[in-house]
Amino acid sequence: MISPHPELPAEVVIVGAGPAGLACALRLAQIIDTHNAAHPEAPISKDGICVLEKGREPGAHLLSGAVMDPGALRRLAPEFATDLAALDAVPVHDDAAWFLSRRRAWRLPITPPPLRNHGNYIISLQKLGAWLAQKVEAAGITIFSGVAGAELLWTESGRIAGVRTDDKGRDRDGQPKTGFEPGSDITAPVTVLAEGVRGSLTEQLRKRLRLEGKIPQTFALGIKEIWELPPGRFPAGRVYHTLGWPLGNALYGGGWIYGLPENRISLGLVTGLESSDPRLDPHALFQIFKTHPWVRQLLQDGEMIRFGAKALPNGGWPALMPLAGEGWLLLGDSAGFLNGQRLKGIHLAIESGCLAAESVFAALRDRSPARLGEYATRARQGAIRRELWPARNFHRAFEHGMALGLARAGLQWIMGGRDPFGFAPARPGYQRMRPLAEMRHPAPALTPDGRLTFDKMADVYHSGTRHEEDQPAHLLISDTQICATRCAREFGNPCRFFCPAQVYEMAEQSDGSRQIHLNPSNCVHCKTCDILDPYQIITWAPPEGGGGPDYQGC
Amino acid sequence: MKIIVCLKQVPAKDAPLRLAAGSDGRATAIREDVSFEMNEPDAYALEAALRLKEACLARQESGEVAVLTVGPARAAQMLREALAKGADRALHIETPSGAELDSHAIAVAMAAGLQSENFDLILTGLQSDDAGYAQTGLLLAENLGLPHATIIMKIEPHAGGLRVKRELEGGRFQWLELPRPALLTIQSGIDKLRYATLLGIKQAKNKPLARLELSALGVSPGSNRLAVARLAMPEKTKATEMLAGTPAEMAAALAQKLRQLHLVP
Repeated sequence: MISPHPELPAEVVIVGAGPAGLACALRLAQIIDTHNAAHPEAPISKDGICVLEKGREPGAHLLSGAVMDPGALRRLAPEFATDLAALDAVPVHDDAAWFLSRRRAWRLPITPPPLRNHGNYIISLQKLGAWLAQKVEAAGITIFSGVAGAELLWTESGRIAGVRTDDKGRDRDGQPKTGFEPGSDITAPVTVLAEGVRGSLTEQLRKRLRLEGKIPQTFALGIKEIWELPPGRFPAGRVYHTLGWPLGNALYGGGWIYGLPENRISLGLVTGLESSDPRLDPHALFQIFKTHPWVRQLLQDGEMIRFGAKALPNGGWPALMPLAGEGWLLLGDSAGFLNGQRLKGIHLAIESGCLAAESVFAALRDRSPARLGEYATRARQGAIRRELWPARNFHRAFEHGMALGLARAGLQWIMGGRDPFGFAPARPGYQRMRPLAEMRHPAPALTPDGRLTFDKMADVYHSGTRHEEDQPAHLLISDTQICATRCAREFGNPCRFFCPAQVYEMAEQSDGSRQIHLNPSNCVHCKTCDILDPYQIITWAPPEGGGGPDYQGC
Repeated sequence: MKIIVCLKQVPAKDAPLRLAAGSDGRATAIREDVSFEMNEPDAYALEAALRLKEACLARQESGEVAVLTVGPARAAQMLREALAKGADRALHIETPSGAELDSHAIAVAMAAGLQSENFDLILTGLQSDDAGYAQTGLLLAENLGLPHATIIMKIEPHAGGLRVKRELEGGRFQWLELPRPALLTIQSGIDKLRYATLLGIKQAKNKPLARLELSALGVSPGSNRLAVARLAMPEKTKATEMLAGTPAEMAAALAQKLRQLHLVP
């Protein structure tokens, strides 16, 4: 039978137009241009390099705080320093860490060294993505925007052969509508996975090849709003981090407030996705965070203008998976390159993209796929190692709560990253969830007022999220009976709480039973459900390309 | 058949609309941090043009679709999307960023930009999703001295000219015959929109995209004949009153309310 999927032969397919994937594409173009100038007799074409992006345009699905260490970007594209406005970038001039109790806020007498941000920039990650994408396209590399990687292609011998893109124009039941376009098979000797946190193709790869780090990856969920404040309230370039309330001792995480240009601030809360409480609701915790008198006062008479949510990998060095294999590479957040101690990953994503480009170039030039393996070696040395190795035990320091964890992290800092105590066996976050019946206290909750605090639907509206409505659900639940029976009984359907976009609901049926009901078009692509569902029966697959949030200015 | 399709890039449908107070006390719409897309009726005009072209090619006749926009640099993205879907070439009349042109100025610029073009048909969307004046197409036809018809739902070749179906009020339609060249404004939903294919996106990079400066055509914001007096968010005047009680009590209370408001006898 002839495959309905048109084949598009390529040399390199990069999945994801984020800082990692775009850095890889741009660096590759730079190296090829230099090579072709020096060796006009043996030019290498850039025609066979392409980037896939599931967002409507590059940057649309990128969300971060974001404070960026500019080192890697300076090496890749030094001209950014003269184009700061295009990135919405301001240099950090002032930073502080605060501890919050229920009613009060204390400024820590010194800012912990990893949180000192002198020399860094507050940026819009969406704008950085859009800016890098322009450079990549100007360099002659095609970015397919609004095109998702649906599945990995494999050869008969079990080697990666490229990526199949998403089908366009299937209805709710999966039937082709008029105008249906089947996905294309982009066949390539090199597949670069730069999908960001918990990539859907990366998950296919991880499961098929049984890839594991030393410990399972752990995650947190960042919830962010951008507010416009009365002039003079919070200067651009100021960086505040908070610890304590409303997370308490048992929950890993903290808040941030960054001053943006034009009287705007980025405000957010990171909550560890490893709580014992199945009612964990990071969105609600963020809303509660804003009711702290110190935060409330800051936001007085302001207006919320943007919302977003995105998970992040915080397992660090020991949770890194194998980084390369036959025909594939893992970059950025897909690999787990995030320094949880410094709360930074953008520069590591860019660094990994540049390193990957060098190995991909060597493989192309020498027609030797084995050279991809050099990336894995080099990424575990050099700048990425220098950054992640000293913080290797940071996240695990918090295994017995925040208070002990801070002391222990301080000790690690002094001891160059060593931890003198040893750790309990690491478990993925979803395995730490305890049954609902064991919960002794009510879950934190509040009634949104629509001015300071918002419900999930109001926030989703401010994420600009839009999907084609008539398409199959992209959240695949392998056994919905578990939702209705076992999960309802044991955990009380935690998906209803942890999803920040109200995608999951338990709907009462006419016979009084409750069935899972999905609102996939609310999905902001944060990946929390794929990460935290206690039975691991939810698979996040990309919806029809172009759908999802629209994080303009985030 | 040579077809020109006029396109406009407008704020995405779900883009939150925000106003900034202008220095002269008048508000302006904030265009930063808004994503843009092809105006929906224009996307249908493009689809209709591509189908006409394909029908020509199927009859072994020549067919070409050129797309035209008047807009800032960002609008080039929309032109590339049109090329990816199957347009053959694009013409971008670039406006300085921040310049707001009215339908008249845009139509004059388009007419000037089309001076050296030979075409059989011009298609536009029936109106834009942002301003919604539904004027640009008509003014362009007037400037070019072309016959035109609006709110078109079907186009058929007919004895060297065209036979078109117009939407009227109340579910009625009108069939019209026009000579060529002519200008038609297209209703949304005329055909099912196509997706750009990967091959199409790749090929679009090598299709011609010509640029013209607005000023080179003798048009500027000074050409506007429409001045916006004031821009304001709709004021919320709707008040909701919740009726309490048993269903019977609520029904009685509702009936009384409706009578008080003279909505029922």
